[in-house]
Amino acid sequence: MDEPLIRARALTKTFRRPDKGPGLAGSARHLITRKYTEHHAIDGIDLDVAAGEAVAYVGRNGAGKSTTVKLLTGILVPSSGEVRVAGVVPHQDRIANARNIGVVFGQRTQLWWDLPVRETFTLLRDMYRIPPERYRATLARLTEVLDLGPLLPVTGRKLSLGQRMRADLAAALLHEPPIVYLDEPTIGLDIEVKDRVREFLRDLVANGTTVLLTTHDLGDIEDVCRRIVIVDGGRIIHDGPLAAVRDELARERSMHVQPAVPVDLAAIRAALPGTEVSGEPGEFSIRFDRFAYSAGQVAAAVMGLAEIRDFRIDEPGIEDVVRRVYEGGLVESPTGAPA
Amino acid sequence: MPSVAMRPYLAIARISWRSALAYRIPFVLSLCMMVFNLLAMLSLWRVLLASGHPLAGFTWPEMRAYLLVSFVTGCLVSSFTDFTMAFRIQSGLVALDLTQPVHYQRARFAQCLGMTVLESATAAVVCGAALAAFGAIPVPALPQLALFLVSLVAVVPLKFLIVYSSGLLCFWTHNYLGVSFARAAVSAVLSGALVPLVFFPGWLRILAEVLPFQGIASTPALIYLGQASGWDAVRLIGIQLLWIAVLWAGASAAWNAALRRLTIHGG
Ligand SMILES: Nc1ncnc2c1ncn2[C@@H]1O[C@H](COP(=O)(O)OP(=O)(O)OP(=O)(O)O)[C@@H](O)[C@H]1O
Ligand SMILES: [Mg+2]
Repeated sequence: MDEPLIRARALTKTFRRPDKGPGLAGSARHLITRKYTEHHAIDGIDLDVAAGEAVAYVGRNGAGKSTTVKLLTGILVPSSGEVRVAGVVPHQDRIANARNIGVVFGQRTQLWWDLPVRETFTLLRDMYRIPPERYRATLARLTEVLDLGPLLPVTGRKLSLGQRMRADLAAALLHEPPIVYLDEPTIGLDIEVKDRVREFLRDLVANGTTVLLTTHDLGDIEDVCRRIVIVDGGRIIHDGPLAAVRDELARERSMHVQPAVPVDLAAIRAALPGTEVSGEPGEFSIRFDRFAYSAGQVAAAVMGLAEIRDFRIDEPGIEDVVRRVYEGGLVESPTGAPA
Repeated sequence: MPSVAMRPYLAIARISWRSALAYRIPFVLSLCMMVFNLLAMLSLWRVLLASGHPLAGFTWPEMRAYLLVSFVTGCLVSSFTDFTMAFRIQSGLVALDLTQPVHYQRARFAQCLGMTVLESATAAVVCGAALAAFGAIPVPALPQLALFLVSLVAVVPLKFLIVYSSGLLCFWTHNYLGVSFARAAVSAVLSGALVPLVFFPGWLRILAEVLPFQGIASTPALIYLGQASGWDAVRLIGIQLLWIAVLWAGASAAWNAALRRLTIHGG
């Protein structure tokens, strides 16, 4: 096999946090003691992504997703380890790397705040030296799929979050990069815009772009990514086909219940064998296998013991995925396992 | 015809000039401050030189010329460069600058040049008004005028590099405002923008002459007045160019060092 398009080996990023007491006195003391705590945001990551692959990169808050993206894009210099993207070491040859990649950070914008969106696009055209016909064609295509027409004359600061995200997606893709990194591209968007962005990502992948997508929303990666990489504590804890994770999780549901009066959780456990009940007598959750119980059965069993004031059923989220990995519910694939 | 390699930087200069127009209010405010400063200095020196006796070789028309030249150089390369830089570094937006296919330092210089277009235009207008109000100033002969123009042009990269270098300190300090004010205060004195260097006590004058600041006000002003002419003027311009080369290389090295310790805050 050829060298993968993205290749990281034992990649590590350590941040130093000053050991500071509170207030001015603490800061002053720090000036003298100069003590730091080392924090491994990324702790020995091995990752190969082949050309055309679409990888979901998920994990809990603080797992190290954004830091990984910043290392792969060359924004941060790794503390140790190696990284090569399309044959380039990103932090050593930023300019060559920049031409190969498009980056979207959901929480930051690359639009010029005081100028119409169109001006940012023109700047990018010149920055990436996109030939005029090429630029016109790409812009026309992006304008259509992201519905940018009404946004082009609008100043960056006047865009709503969803509008901004669409414009930022276009800005990152104007030079038609073969590799695209998306760090939480649907954060804060309503469901309608989310759907539009997801559809756009599907097309992007279908057209052969290599995509690495981080998100907290499992909905983002369905139909977009075939492969899921799960990080926790700066390490990859699972790497494998998305389908396996989905099937595993598809079985699982959680019901959150607030009873009118506190109930004995032991009694509920007894009434629903095989489920996992956690929480307080006044508010608890029942995790059950969808194929063993129906939601109605679970609710009926609880109602037999107490009046229900309120309840809600959750689809599994990232936390559940991570938990399942630790419980051994997912079999690790041999390819992605860190050494 | 501009080469292809220049195209990204020309585009950055253009967009920076365009966005400067969006910052009309701070721009006008800072201009008002500078004009106020100019008027105060002109009035002050008019009183000091009212007797008709020159002070340290300066007559009133010469001093007028000195102050006007230093006003013009003061208008060039405003604090926009380092403030936007500081803001982007501290807010983490610099992450996006790092994913663009341009050299960071050259891109900031291009941005600064874009602003300079606007700054030169306003400086010219204010000068015209001041000339009308306070009387004409002596104009040097052609060769001297040419030397003056060279030294005036050299002010832009030199001042940019001073401002840019201090902007890089953001990587080491979280209180950039303090750094910026300190730099502005030091450079106002040591550049000779407030008081010509000849009035300085010996030690301060030596300090001013070994530091790069004199090149952003005193040098073009002295050349304009003919107080530095011929080889003397060429030597002063040489010092400007030397500092430009030294600071450019130094700032590049500092930037690379800064990137190694860069941590992007937030998300
Ligand atoms: N500039 C920094 N200085 C110190 N520590 C940092 C810095 N940036 C990130 N970290 C730490 O590194 C770890 C990983 O952060 P990262 O931003 O990569 O997480 P993430 O997976 O993207 O989380 P989220 O889902 O919340 O965006 C966190 O513990 C964070 O506190
Ligand atoms: Mg993140």
